[in-house]
Amino acid sequence: MRKWTPYLLLIPTFIIIVLFIYVPAEYSIMASMQRILPFGRGTSYIGLTNFLKLFSNAEYLYSVRFTILYVTVTVGIAIIFSFLIALLLVKKIPGVKLFRTLIFVPYAISPAIAGALWTFLLNPIVGHVSYFFQVLFGVQVEWLTSKPYAFYAVVFASVWKTLPFNMIFYIASIQDVPEEIIESATIEGASPLNRTWKIIFPMVSPITFYLVIMNIVTMMFSSFAIIDVMTKGGPGQYTTNMIYRLYLDAFYFQKPGIASAQSVILIAIMIVVTSIYFKFGERRVHYQ
Amino acid sequence: MLKNILGEKKMKKIIFVTLLIVVLLAGSAAMAADKINVQFWHAMGGWRIELLQEMANDFMALNPDIEIEVQYTGSYGDTINKLNVAVQSNIAPHVVQGYDIATQMLIDGEVGVVMQDLIDADPTFDIGAFMPQVLDYYRVNGKLYCMPFNSSNAIMFYNKTLFEKAGLDPNKPPKTYEELLEIAEKLTTKDDKGNVAQAAVCWSLNCWFFEQFMAAQNAPLVDNDNGRTGRPTKAIFNSDAGLKVFTFWNDLTKNGYMVNTKLEDWTGARNLFISQKVAMLITSTSDVALMVKSAQENNFELGSAFIPAPADAEAGGVVIGGGSLWLIDGHPKNETDAAWKFVKYMAESPQQIKWHTGTGYFPVTKNAIEDLLAQGYYSESPHNLTAILQLLLSTQNYNTNGAIIGAFAEMRSIVASNVEKMLSGSLTPAEALAAAEKAATEAIRNYEGL
Repeated sequence: MRKWTPYLLLIPTFIIIVLFIYVPAEYSIMASMQRILPFGRGTSYIGLTNFLKLFSNAEYLYSVRFTILYVTVTVGIAIIFSFLIALLLVKKIPGVKLFRTLIFVPYAISPAIAGALWTFLLNPIVGHVSYFFQVLFGVQVEWLTSKPYAFYAVVFASVWKTLPFNMIFYIASIQDVPEEIIESATIEGASPLNRTWKIIFPMVSPITFYLVIMNIVTMMFSSFAIIDVMTKGGPGQYTTNMIYRLYLDAFYFQKPGIASAQSVILIAIMIVVTSIYFKFGERRVHYQ
Repeated sequence: MLKNILGEKKMKKIIFVTLLIVVLLAGSAAMAADKINVQFWHAMGGWRIELLQEMANDFMALNPDIEIEVQYTGSYGDTINKLNVAVQSNIAPHVVQGYDIATQMLIDGEVGVVMQDLIDADPTFDIGAFMPQVLDYYRVNGKLYCMPFNSSNAIMFYNKTLFEKAGLDPNKPPKTYEELLEIAEKLTTKDDKGNVAQAAVCWSLNCWFFEQFMAAQNAPLVDNDNGRTGRPTKAIFNSDAGLKVFTFWNDLTKNGYMVNTKLEDWTGARNLFISQKVAMLITSTSDVALMVKSAQENNFELGSAFIPAPADAEAGGVVIGGGSLWLIDGHPKNETDAAWKFVKYMAESPQQIKWHTGTGYFPVTKNAIEDLLAQGYYSESPHNLTAILQLLLSTQNYNTNGAIIGAFAEMRSIVASNVEKMLSGSLTPAEALAAAEKAATEAIRNYEGL
């Protein structure tokens, strides 16, 4: 009887996973090969036509390219900055707890609110950021409605939103780096720069790897709210990434077939990303 | 371990049984009251949530046997999405507010009870009481599929105070593109670095205005008489009229006369006008009440005018926008009857007047307008008069009755994104218009399965 207990305990989780992940995923895969009329009035099997249509659709291909650019830039910046800020936040300086709390705030804010906040701050005429730009540099930037500023704005807001998450992990792992190693390196005459990049950074590399994977997932999926609120994929679909394209096709244009095909592509990408993590991440986690 | 689980199971059982009893009791209480439950989903946010609830309460007071469950279900788009899911899982509400551009899709989805059938079968209902403009818009293939409820169109507001400051006649708003461009320079102020401090005009970046500007020039959007005499097969807005709109929009922007918002940012556009950063605003007539209030609060004198058209354009008009009420099929007859009663009630004059004065959406019945006129309402609220006159003076034909397109939402997005490409300088007006037409045709053909 005892050996059944673990399975029994897994049942609730399993039910939820099946109901909310496997069943919809299966539905998506089926729907991706169908042409579906409005309100599901009729469906017809059309094989891989939806996928072929997508790969010959310039707008979709653009959204793929944009996603790659957006994810690379945001993840890169978020990782580097969070590491640097975490280095500062582990220093034993007065008020560090307060700084940490303040810097964590963006993480507690929902992406939609974050988007709304930046939309307001970046308004070309009444926004505060725009005001400072005007005073400091004498330029009036249409942050959300012109190229390439819309991209900068979205990247900025996304990084701002993810930084705290990364910092929590970095602070914890930097604090875990054994004091003795740093001390002996200092005695051996390693410069602070060397200590940071040749000792601390490699020591926290498993966390970096984990964060890169997590950030890729966040930027690919959770970026939806920020983009929806800030630019709506504009100007002229300039900031439309894959998840926003999917939203438009599924919920705005009511094309469930095409949208399902897109979600199948996203599922495939996620399978690749997570299997990379399981393959390499698990192996390198025990570095000591 | 096992014991613990059993204990938990027992707990669950107890909770389950309790819940069951509560549900049964609640159910029997409802049965005892013998009320017919009608669910009503709408997309009217803000203060209008309460207004609609109030109207439903009034209805329930008159019809104690009917319980109206009013639910705000997000934007028009969200509401359609929820309906889409609900219909496919057989939990659809009875009454849903659908927006103008979903009309064809809702008809194609065959989700609604055809309103015309109920109208024809109900001798107490007089369709003649409705404004012909409204009926022309909502009738498809000669039939009403839904009940007109909240109708609006585009209107131009201007800041008389800023006009005076610029040395312009506050009682002479621009009527044509040419006049608007001419005064735009005077209404635009720039600082010494060339940055715009005050712009002349603004409207939210939205295909809806393109549609309105086309109708104002009596030009169609799609073939087969705007999809009114047959299903549309292609977009035909790459015309002289279309080019004039795109060029006008582009010229205003390039000269710094116009501030553009991000996609569909109605609030952003309104705020620019309210904060007196722009002198003219083209927006929906449903904003009349809000604008009157805001102008008072911000100490400027409000003016209103018809939307402009090129000087040499054919006389056209404004297209009706807004929403209508759909009765969703598949409910027991007594429930559908109750829902029909409610929909009928909402379209009656007193309710339309209440709705109109509370929002700015204009009334859909002739009586309501007559009553308002008799009460002296239009002399007290001249901007509402502008709104209603613009509609009444509109030429009535297929071009001003609005297009009926299944892939309308997609077409809107295509037009708007090409406008954005034009405004950012990556396409000329002619290129943007051609690209938009081509993509819109493709969307239409895809929808129609051509």
